[in-house]
Amino acid sequence: MITDFLNGEYVHEVQILIFSLTLGGVYALMASGLTLVFGVMRIVNLAHPAFIFIAAYISYYAFTELNLDPMESILINVPLMFIFGVIVYRVFLASGADQPRYTEKTVLLTFALALMIEGVLGYLFTGANRSTTPTYTTEVFFTGEAQYLVPKAQLYALLMSLVLIIFTWSFLQFTRMGYAIRATMQNRAAAQTVGVNVKWVSTFSFGMGTALAGAAGALMSFLFSFFPNTHWEWVALLLSLIVLGGMGSLVGAVVGAFLLAGTAGLVSDAYGPSWSPLTFYAALFLILLIRPQGLFGKKLEMT
Amino acid sequence: MTLLEVKGLVAGYGSGPDILRGIDLTLEAGQIQCIIGPNGAGKSTLLKVICGILKPRDGEVIFEGESITRLRPDQVLKKGICFVPQERSLFPHMTVGENLRMGGYALKNARETRKRIKEIYRQFPTLKQKRWQAANQLSGGQQQMLAMGRAMVLSPKIVLLDEPSLGLAPLIVEHIFEIVRQFKENGITVLMVEQNAHKGLEFADWGLVLDLGKNVFDGPADTILADPRIQELYLGTRRVQEGI
Repeated sequence: MITDFLNGEYVHEVQILIFSLTLGGVYALMASGLTLVFGVMRIVNLAHPAFIFIAAYISYYAFTELNLDPMESILINVPLMFIFGVIVYRVFLASGADQPRYTEKTVLLTFALALMIEGVLGYLFTGANRSTTPTYTTEVFFTGEAQYLVPKAQLYALLMSLVLIIFTWSFLQFTRMGYAIRATMQNRAAAQTVGVNVKWVSTFSFGMGTALAGAAGALMSFLFSFFPNTHWEWVALLLSLIVLGGMGSLVGAVVGAFLLAGTAGLVSDAYGPSWSPLTFYAALFLILLIRPQGLFGKKLEMT
Repeated sequence: MTLLEVKGLVAGYGSGPDILRGIDLTLEAGQIQCIIGPNGAGKSTLLKVICGILKPRDGEVIFEGESITRLRPDQVLKKGICFVPQERSLFPHMTVGENLRMGGYALKNARETRKRIKEIYRQFPTLKQKRWQAANQLSGGQQQMLAMGRAMVLSPKIVLLDEPSLGLAPLIVEHIFEIVRQFKENGITVLMVEQNAHKGLEFADWGLVLDLGKNVFDGPADTILADPRIQELYLGTRRVQEGI
């Protein structure tokens, strides 16, 4: 199989996989904030793609007005979006966090929030299609004997996404705050009894999830074109990624992102691009039927 | 010396009825006090109010002469009151070692936490042996041991135990109460709720009987065990003996 690839038997398929898998990293970064916020607070944040869009607009204006590379504007987006997330959480979502029907409530609340953001973005930035155009968006590498084409922008975005995800993972695994966040994910009541201020941890996690959306938005600004109401297209995509990987699991989000990005690429190649969104929905249905907790998900232990 | 005092506590959940309807309690330093009473008497609710998880509707909780009624759970913990809830109080996907580390979370001192965890491992070799296993792989008795060990990491002034023997086999129950005694030997005052009233009182110094959200009786544990009225109403022995 591998030698077939190298001998150029599957040149076309490998090329398709290079195109789609290099996008997988950005999908994973987009989904990581969503899965974190669900894991800690059981919030299904339908406004997550809208957050990504806000950040994409910040990067857009940083690029056009300040001449700042979108990769550099991550440094602006992350703190700004963290603060934005903290405010949104405090104002809209903090109350009722310990009530049994909280998750259902958050679906409606964040749906409304997404609508509001869409309206504001439309008012401020009009419905025009935008994207940032640093020079590397039009450049490619050639690699291997078969001279595979690797778009520079996608490769850079992939590497940046992986760096940010590994950073997030290490933060959760090794820092004091990371311990507190994981403890709150696994058993909110017990976290409280060992002295974790779960309100602050929840606020921080939501800020962190939004900051990840901020970083993802910067990368999105040069990979895809965007205008205010296309964020809805991302909701189903991102939700199916994290359901496939297991809601609340960072590793699952990454694996789910690459799996679905690859599959969608191949499907789109074989049956036409209009079929590729279907891949995500089909995956969503299948995983819910076969393994509702997802590939890396742990069965929810409700207290 | 009086360590903890509860005065006229009234509490309930959400907009529901009062579960606690004016409870008084006094806990002396160094004691093991056992709260008994039928289901729905408000035993667990009382512990939740003391540790700050549930806000009372009326009344006061006074710890070392200072009101802690309005404090958040993490603030109450910092004062030195540690709550071990009934069942599922562990972090299921963390290892035994990580769970103990979380026990020292409030210390904010990694080195001190490690030192105390070492001491816990000395007292509970089973935990040391299983330190790399996820908490949800332990048996029921081991999980309870871990939950209590985790409370010891903080060396609190008071530990609140909610039905430590619940769902455990008799032989293991005996072992769990030995750990309760170990708290006392480590200088930690114990306030526990027990469904297994006989066993609980046997290991306790002081007993408190709750019924319908009020305290109906309190006194030395052996007095309560011997009191025929209480036996009849709350311990159920008389009825069994007489075959009713």
